[in-house]
Amino acid sequence: METRINSPQTFQRFHILHRILHMVIIFNFTFLAISGFLLHFSGFGWARFLIALMGGAGAAGWLHRFCAVFLYFGILVHVFWLIYYKMVLKQNFCGPDSILPGKKDVKDLFQNLRYVFNKGTPPLFDRFSYLQKLDYWGELLGMQSMGITGLILCFPEFFAGIIPGFFINIAGYFHFYEAVLAVMYIGVVHMSDTHLAPDVFPMEKAIFTGKIEKQRFMEDHPGEWKRQQMINDQKLL
Amino acid sequence: MEKATDDQRPKAFINKIKISNGNALMNLKTILSIIVGCALMIFMAAFNSTQAFASKLADLKAAKTIEEQVQKPLVQEPLLCLDCHRMPNINTNEGVIASQAFCYDCHKKEDIIKRNGVTAASLQITMDTFNDNQPDHRFIACINCHTDIARSPHKTQTGVTCTKCHTQHSEGPANDPHLRVSCQACHFQSKFVKLDPKDFKVKLAHNDYDGVPIILSKHILSDVEDEETCRKCHFKNNPVGAPAAVLPSKSILCMMCHNSPLAVGHPVFGLAGLIFMVGIFFMIAFWFKGSVKGEEKSLHRKISLSSESIWNTIFSKQVFSLIKIFILDIVFQRRILKESVSRWSMHSLIFTAILLRFGLSLFTAIGFYFNPEGNMLTALIDKNHWFTAFANDILGLFILLGIIWAIVKRFVIKPDHVVSEYQDNITLILIGTLVLLGFFLEGARILVTGIPFDMAVYSFVGYLVSKVFSIFSIDWGQVYPFMWYAHGVVAAVFIAWLPFGKMRHMFNTPLTYFIEAVDGVKNEKRV
Repeated sequence: METRINSPQTFQRFHILHRILHMVIIFNFTFLAISGFLLHFSGFGWARFLIALMGGAGAAGWLHRFCAVFLYFGILVHVFWLIYYKMVLKQNFCGPDSILPGKKDVKDLFQNLRYVFNKGTPPLFDRFSYLQKLDYWGELLGMQSMGITGLILCFPEFFAGIIPGFFINIAGYFHFYEAVLAVMYIGVVHMSDTHLAPDVFPMEKAIFTGKIEKQRFMEDHPGEWKRQQMINDQKLL
Repeated sequence: MEKATDDQRPKAFINKIKISNGNALMNLKTILSIIVGCALMIFMAAFNSTQAFASKLADLKAAKTIEEQVQKPLVQEPLLCLDCHRMPNINTNEGVIASQAFCYDCHKKEDIIKRNGVTAASLQITMDTFNDNQPDHRFIACINCHTDIARSPHKTQTGVTCTKCHTQHSEGPANDPHLRVSCQACHFQSKFVKLDPKDFKVKLAHNDYDGVPIILSKHILSDVEDEETCRKCHFKNNPVGAPAAVLPSKSILCMMCHNSPLAVGHPVFGLAGLIFMVGIFFMIAFWFKGSVKGEEKSLHRKISLSSESIWNTIFSKQVFSLIKIFILDIVFQRRILKESVSRWSMHSLIFTAILLRFGLSLFTAIGFYFNPEGNMLTALIDKNHWFTAFANDILGLFILLGIIWAIVKRFVIKPDHVVSEYQDNITLILIGTLVLLGFFLEGARILVTGIPFDMAVYSFVGYLVSKVFSIFSIDWGQVYPFMWYAHGVVAAVFIAWLPFGKMRHMFNTPLTYFIEAVDGVKNEKRV
């Protein structure tokens, strides 16, 4: 048995709202992917069998639209949170804690590459590393375009009055191929860069518990750690 | 000469074989294998072609019958059925047009008339008229809806089957399922309806109220958004047993006891819902007035801390003890049972019956979204179905019995521990009036719609009430709307009053139980 620290010192990393929203995304994204792909591959026997389990094509379509609305509701809550964050809590969007991409991310990328090829020290990530930022923005922007094409496919009669008819077919292709892209991204990149990291291997729990251990905080987000220490020192002084 | 040539030939042949002595056997083998290969290929090709042509046995049979049918006209016989009725495939547009053309062939003529004694009505319909009046059914064959008309005698038994493609209404669109009303009675632009004594359904009348046949063949649809359409049944002294006024739809607030649409409904319900939400908001705001885990001032911190602890409770082992508390202490009211059996019985009669009715209506509302055509859901939205009628009546009776018990306890027996506050009395009066009005309403409905005994007997309380009502010679069709509004208004008041009065214990008591279980008995959130 290794020596185990009974209760390692933990720090709050994610606010409760963001944990709930992440759960909303997990739930809806999974069901959207399942029902959507089953509907797209409805010509195949296995898809028909699984769709029958879901209660038929109508029920699968209903589930798909329900999850889409639910997911977009989550995005709206996120936007309201941003407004609340700025207006009520008087916090800043920019700065080192921000998820907005900055110059440091490019620098970090090259430094990380140098580190991987054994030519330098690892980059000192701040609150969010460039990969985490990529995850966030890929998901957020991807959901907008999925939402727009999905709306076009959901109300074709309305949109055919505004845009040419073949746009609906184009929207169909966009919707499908972007779904493939999103599922590949989440399934391969997001899963491996968060859960397959050796430090956390079976599973990264920070987004579910909201807490991060002191050791990992110092290793993975040294920039933020340093700033917090400085703030604490100032408080002590 | 002839002989010489005869002798020479075999020699030359033998010479040839001798020259290619080494390869002779090989050649035979090659030739043989080529022949066998060709035979195999031909055999497999033949086998393969049949596969591609008709992969299933059923298809093969169909192909065979088609071949036979095609050959039939060759037999010299006068006019076979299939000479005219080519059985077009009405799943294709071509087939639909071919099938329609066959109907229009006769029905486009002006002298297509249905005689009813002296009077007569035209059955004329042309393709243009139909397509103008029902543009959405342009590419639907006549026999797709008039399923049993293409035969002799040329008279339908089943009528028109709309529900083959369309689903039936839930509570929402027609303010009621209207399961006793056939589709055309509302959706066709004819002012005359009748009550069919055979299957007890409201149907489109073929004669007007003076007995003169009317023209229905134009297939003109009515504007069902317009309330004027509803008034062809809902007027005073109507022949089909409909209430005299067009009533608004139920609201989502009615979900507490009835299956209802997910809509706001009448403005009164909207107002009640708004007051309910505001009340809930103030109730929660009141909870957060106290300190949460030592935090006294910042509301942001309080919300964040309390939601954090809820999150940690849900994703911990404690959640199982909470589920246990929910089932035993909240659904089965264990803590009241421990105090007094009579109190438990009284409270459970009211609470469990309302909970069961809420569960039933919630199940119906959600289930209807997924399977609107299922037999079970049809039964659940049908007020006259034996299960729904019986379940609703017996649960309503339980609530009424519980209320009567409580009233007797408070005002007649008056035990020492019962302290009757005005809030308790208001609650009892509200629920009691609500249930009583509900039963009156049901009785009036049974009386007005004239539901036969064997169907109405399952709603036994309502049937008794209807028998009592039938003593008074009032036009109950005109009283019914007033009773409906009274029931609705009392329900709206009850819902609006929930977060303010005594009924607040519906939210507070379970919450207190949960917080006690998580944090121990003492907690600042306790109200």
